[in-house]
Amino acid sequence: MVSQKLTIKNESGLHARPAGILAQAAMKCNSEVWILLGEKKVQVKSILNLMAAGIKCGTEIELQCEGESEQEDLKTLVDLIESGLGE
Amino acid sequence: MIKIKVEKTASRGIAIAPAYVYREVDLTPDHYPVAEEKIPQEEKKFTDIKQAVLADLEQLSQENPIFAAHIAIADDYTLQEGIIGRIKSGKKNVQQAICETVEEVAEIFGQMEDEYMRERKADVLDIGKRFLIKCKNITVQDLAAICEPVIVVAKDLFPSDTVKMNPEFVKGIITEEGGVTSHVSIMAKNYGIPALTGVANVLGNLEDGKTVCMDAEDGTIVIEPEEAVLEDYRKRQEEDRKEQEEVKKYRSMETVTPAGKRIYLCINVGNTEEIRLALDKNIDGIGLFRTEFLYMENSHFPTEEEQFAVYKEAAKLCPQEVTIRTLDIGGDKSLPYYEFEPEENPFLGWRAIRISLDMPDLFRTQLRAILRASAFGHIRIMFPMMISVEELQSAKEMVETCKEELRREQIAFDENIETGMMMETPASVLLAEEFAKEADFFSIGTNDLTQYILAVDRGNKKIASRYDSFHPAVMKAIAEIIRAGHKYNRKVGMCGELAGDVNAVPKLLELGLDEFSMSAGNVDYVRKTIIG
Repeated sequence: MVSQKLTIKNESGLHARPAGILAQAAMKCNSEVWILLGEKKVQVKSILNLMAAGIKCGTEIELQCEGESEQEDLKTLVDLIESGLGE
Repeated sequence: MIKIKVEKTASRGIAIAPAYVYREVDLTPDHYPVAEEKIPQEEKKFTDIKQAVLADLEQLSQENPIFAAHIAIADDYTLQEGIIGRIKSGKKNVQQAICETVEEVAEIFGQMEDEYMRERKADVLDIGKRFLIKCKNITVQDLAAICEPVIVVAKDLFPSDTVKMNPEFVKGIITEEGGVTSHVSIMAKNYGIPALTGVANVLGNLEDGKTVCMDAEDGTIVIEPEEAVLEDYRKRQEEDRKEQEEVKKYRSMETVTPAGKRIYLCINVGNTEEIRLALDKNIDGIGLFRTEFLYMENSHFPTEEEQFAVYKEAAKLCPQEVTIRTLDIGGDKSLPYYEFEPEENPFLGWRAIRISLDMPDLFRTQLRAILRASAFGHIRIMFPMMISVEELQSAKEMVETCKEELRREQIAFDENIETGMMMETPASVLLAEEFAKEADFFSIGTNDLTQYILAVDRGNKKIASRYDSFHPAVMKAIAEIIRAGHKYNRKVGMCGELAGDVNAVPKLLELGLDEFSMSAGNVDYVRKTIIG
C-alpha cells in the first residue's frame, strides 16, 4: 500500500465535475483507491462518495492506493489532482 | 380568478399562457418477493436496466452537458454496490433495492451544508427515477411533445424533464418544490423563461388549459384571470420587454441623481447564490442578507461553523458592504426542528430580536459567525424588530462580549464593524432620534412598517387593498426616520419592497434616502429612475 498527502486546489473543492473526472480516472486503476480525510475513508471510485465527502478548496487529503499497480496508479492520480482535474 | 403570491423569484419575466399540468407518475416500487434461486435473475435485471439508462443518457448528453455528470452517477460504484447488495443479501426485488439505495444516497446530499450540494440530491433522485421507469416499463408524459405556448406547472421538475422542454413553447415554469439554485431555475435563467419555484399548493387549483398569468418579478400568479387582469398582464409583458432593453443601457453608469447626490444601490438576498447571480449588475453591496434560510432549510440550529462558511462566502463574493440581518424568525416563519408555541398574534409575538435576546446561546452563535466572517470583507450587522433603546443596547453588548471572546481566542474580525437596525416598528419611528445616537445605520423595512403603522395584516386578502406603503402615515414615518438618522450623520437605507418600486423612488429621493436595497431584478429599473 502506498499513499501521498496533497492539497485540493480547485476553487469550489471537489464539486460534480472535478469529482467525476477523478472517479473516472480511479475506475481505470486496478488498485483500490481511497482518500483519507481525518477519520473518514472515502472510496475514490465513486463520484457520489467523493461529492458527499464535501472536500473543499485548501483541504489536505491523503491519497491511498493498494494493489499490484499501486505505484503507477498513485502517480497517475496525484498528477491528475495537481493538474487541477480539468479546471 | 385565483391569485397566488410568491416570495422568491427563480427567474424573472412575465408570461401568459394556458397551463400544462405535469403530473408525476407513480413510481412506488412493486413488492413482489424474490426467491433464493431468482436472485441472479434480479441482478441481471438491474444490469440490463442500467445499460439501457446509460444508453439514454449517452444520447441526451450529446445535446446537454448536464447529463455527462448524470452518466457518472448512473454508473456509480456506491449506487451499484448498494442495489446489488440489497438484492443479494436483503432478498429485495430490483425495484425496492433501487428505491432504498437511491433514497439513502439522496438523503446524504440533502443534509449537506452547502446549498449547491444539497440541490444535487435532485440529480441522484433523477437517476433513481430513470431506473424505476425502465423497470416498470411505463410511459411518462412527454414534455418534448409540447408544441404550443404553455406554462408548465409541476410538483418538481428534474433535469431529465427540463432538457426536453422547448423554450420556444414553454413560456413559464411554476413548481411547488425546488429552490433558487435548483436545476429548474438555472435552466430557466439560461433561457430567460420566467419561473417561480416553491409555490405551495398550486397544483390543486389547476387543470390543463386554464389560463395562467405569472409575473416572476413581483412574484404573482393569477389563474383564470378576469379580462381586465389579463389585459394588465399583456400590457406589463410588452412594457417589460421594451423596458428591459432600455434600462440595461444604464447599468455601467454611476448612480447619481440629477442634483448630484450619489445613491447606493444594493440588493436583498436570501443566500449566496443570489449574490453570485447579481454580481454583473453594478451594485454597491448587499443591503439585506436574510439569514433565515440557514435556520429554515436545516435539520438543526445551524452551528457557528456552518454559518461562518456562508457569511464568509458572502463577504468574499461581494467586497462592498454586506449587511447581515440577525435571525428574523417567528411571525409567519417557523422551524422544522423547534416547536414554537401557537400564538394569537404571531406578528406581535415572539419573533426576531425578541427570540435572539431570550435565547442568548443562539444569538451568540450567530454573532460569532458574523464577526469571524467580517475579517474577509465589509460586513455590517443589522438587528430586526427593535422597539426600545435598551434592546439595542443589549444586542450591542452581546456583540461586544463576542468580540472579547474572539480577541481572547486570537480569531480575526473587523474591529470597526458597524451595528445598525431595521426601522420597522412604530416605536422605533417615535424613538428614531434616541436610536440614531446608538445605531451606526438605519434600514427601513417598509413591509412590516406599513403593516404596523396602518394596523393592516399584509397576509389578509380581505384587507389587501388597505395595505399601502404610499399611505401618508407611512410616508411621514419614513420622513421622520431619515430626518433623525441624518441629524446624527447616520446613513439611512431602505430594504423593504418600496425601495424597489420605481414609483416610490422620486418621493424617497426627495426625503433624502441614501441607500436603496431591493431584489436584484429591480436594480436596473431603479437605477434608471434615479439617474433620470
